[in-house]
Amino acid sequence: MTALTAAPPELLMRATNLNAAYSADGTRDVPAVDAVSLEVPRGQILGLAGESGCGKSTLGNTLAMIANPPLYVLSGTLEIAGLTIDLSTLDKGADARHRPHRGQIVSMLPQGAMNSISPTLRIRDLVCDVVRAHDRSKSRSDALDLARDRLTMLGMPVRVLDQYAHQLSGGMRQRMVTVISTLLNPQLLIADEPTSALDVSSQKALIEMLIHMVDEKIMGGAIFITHDLPVLSMVTDQLAIMYAGRIVETGPTAELVHSARHPYTSALLAAVLDPTRETRTKTVEGIPGSPPNLANPPTGCRFHPRCPFAMEVCARQDPPLVGEGIHSASCWWAKDHPHETVPLQGVSL
Amino acid sequence: MGLGRYIGKKALWYGGALLAAIVLNFILPRLVPGNPVDTIVSSLARGGSVTADQQQKIYASFVSQFGLDKPLWQQFLIYLNNIVHGNLGVSFSAYPVSVNHLVGQAVPWTLAIQLPSIIIGWIIGNALGAIAAFKGGRWDSGAFTSSLLLSAMPYYCLSIILLYFLALKAGLFPVGGAYSYGLSPGFNMQFITDALHYYWLPFLSLVLVIIGGQAVGMRSMAIYELGSDYVNFSRGLGIGQGKIVGYIFHNAMLPQITGLALSIGTMVGGALITELVFNYPGMGTLLFNAISSNDYPVIQSITLIITVAVLFANFAVEVVYGIVDPRIRAAKTGEK
Repeated sequence: MTALTAAPPELLMRATNLNAAYSADGTRDVPAVDAVSLEVPRGQILGLAGESGCGKSTLGNTLAMIANPPLYVLSGTLEIAGLTIDLSTLDKGADARHRPHRGQIVSMLPQGAMNSISPTLRIRDLVCDVVRAHDRSKSRSDALDLARDRLTMLGMPVRVLDQYAHQLSGGMRQRMVTVISTLLNPQLLIADEPTSALDVSSQKALIEMLIHMVDEKIMGGAIFITHDLPVLSMVTDQLAIMYAGRIVETGPTAELVHSARHPYTSALLAAVLDPTRETRTKTVEGIPGSPPNLANPPTGCRFHPRCPFAMEVCARQDPPLVGEGIHSASCWWAKDHPHETVPLQGVSL
Repeated sequence: MGLGRYIGKKALWYGGALLAAIVLNFILPRLVPGNPVDTIVSSLARGGSVTADQQQKIYASFVSQFGLDKPLWQQFLIYLNNIVHGNLGVSFSAYPVSVNHLVGQAVPWTLAIQLPSIIIGWIIGNALGAIAAFKGGRWDSGAFTSSLLLSAMPYYCLSIILLYFLALKAGLFPVGGAYSYGLSPGFNMQFITDALHYYWLPFLSLVLVIIGGQAVGMRSMAIYELGSDYVNFSRGLGIGQGKIVGYIFHNAMLPQITGLALSIGTMVGGALITELVFNYPGMGTLLFNAISSNDYPVIQSITLIITVAVLFANFAVEVVYGIVDPRIRAAKTGEK
């Protein structure tokens, strides 16, 4: 983790106006990512949090350029490493256009790494295929040398290269998948719930490895997607909170956790147990209601039907972006209450 | 390397199964009350042209000819000895023609019709199924529906439809048989072109059904594999489409290999109904005639040949599986 300094850090990537939709029956689109823009500073980890079904993974797939029908990326540009990439997948040539960037510019560390390696493929064969997919001039032994060096550097046994996925433990498999996805030193790694299927000690090992990789500049930065807020507050430098396909609040992790400006953020935080003495007597209420159907989202602010601070204007108009520096929230309440933190108890009724 | 041990272990199991099959093949016909000679002699007697004395002599000669006067264990040893020396005995209904001769005449026809249709059908069917799964859309619905129709159709039904339209109505092919009357089988140009002309109809009726069945199976396996996590991960790593299709094909192939080996194994039994519909002189026709004339040595020999072939095919599947699927090898040998 890099300590925040006063000078704004160099920008690693900027994603602008991302729109992605699932085509439900061929005619009607269900927008899952709605006009999202994101920035990740170099050397930092951005956490992406939100309830299930809020579009986190869809956003991840959009950025990793692996959107597959029925998911279509309608628009969006990604500026990274001096490139400006059009993320739209509407034209036929999109897949071929995006392929060289995958794994090398933006790489994906997927959810459910248990089955992320073909069961009939040795790890070393996958490693060769990954390296040679981007550089035909590299030989098999070049690729294996690269992988061996990387494993040694990370303190992992080199013999895993000769094994099949089923011969590795769950934690080892997930770490191996992480090594493969960062083998080509990608600018940006998108880690989509990499820890959710692991036990706590494997989670810790994986997280330490990811932080180590960012510190060693194996990758330029990362987006860490999860709904596990304690993990996020441990790993990330910045947080983006997502609700119903939109980003509702972004800011430095510590600031966001302690002084949330959006009622949804504070509701999300209130739903987490802190292992402290007071926890025994505390009751976790959760957030009443459930996320809206994205085929027919509420007008105005999408959180207003569940928001205890909802005003008449919230249902009518999209909320304004209220921000101080890099901490900003899209909320009418935040506009009316500048510099105030959402009173937690007001949410978890 | 555990592969050698794995194959050795499998070979032992299959050897045991083969022995059990041979014993059963020997005992089962002998458990039937009476013996096969009674049937032959009584059918001769029904003709009325033989006297009781002659009957007695014929009976005695048949019994000693087939070795039925010896104790069971001796008969079994003789039977084993004969099998080891490749001697399948003498046919009852075509006496004194040996079973070896009958089978030797029928097997080439069966292999000629079945092996190409199974292999070609398997290759085309799998390719078609895989393409249908990858392309999706209209391609898929067309290929899938026709494959389903073909595979659901009984062999004889398709045979009769083809026979009616292509042979009877259009007159493109002869109606039945394997070669023109008056020709005798041999490796000369005239006979081969003639046999090929007769070959098409039974071949088509077999190959179409096999294509349908394989395509349906391959399509669903490939669709299942397409949605798996490793496809997504490989795409995210920038691996090319061709390589990913290779991964999918390798995994989707596994159940299909079993199907191929088993159909090659049961192949020697002949495509009974197809051969009957087209009056084709293969193993199926031989078996059918043997059953209708109670020709025990022939029936027994054909069941033995089918047993050996099926066991061998299964053994081949296990060996191939051990090579192509590391999970099975690991599970079976305890390799880690």
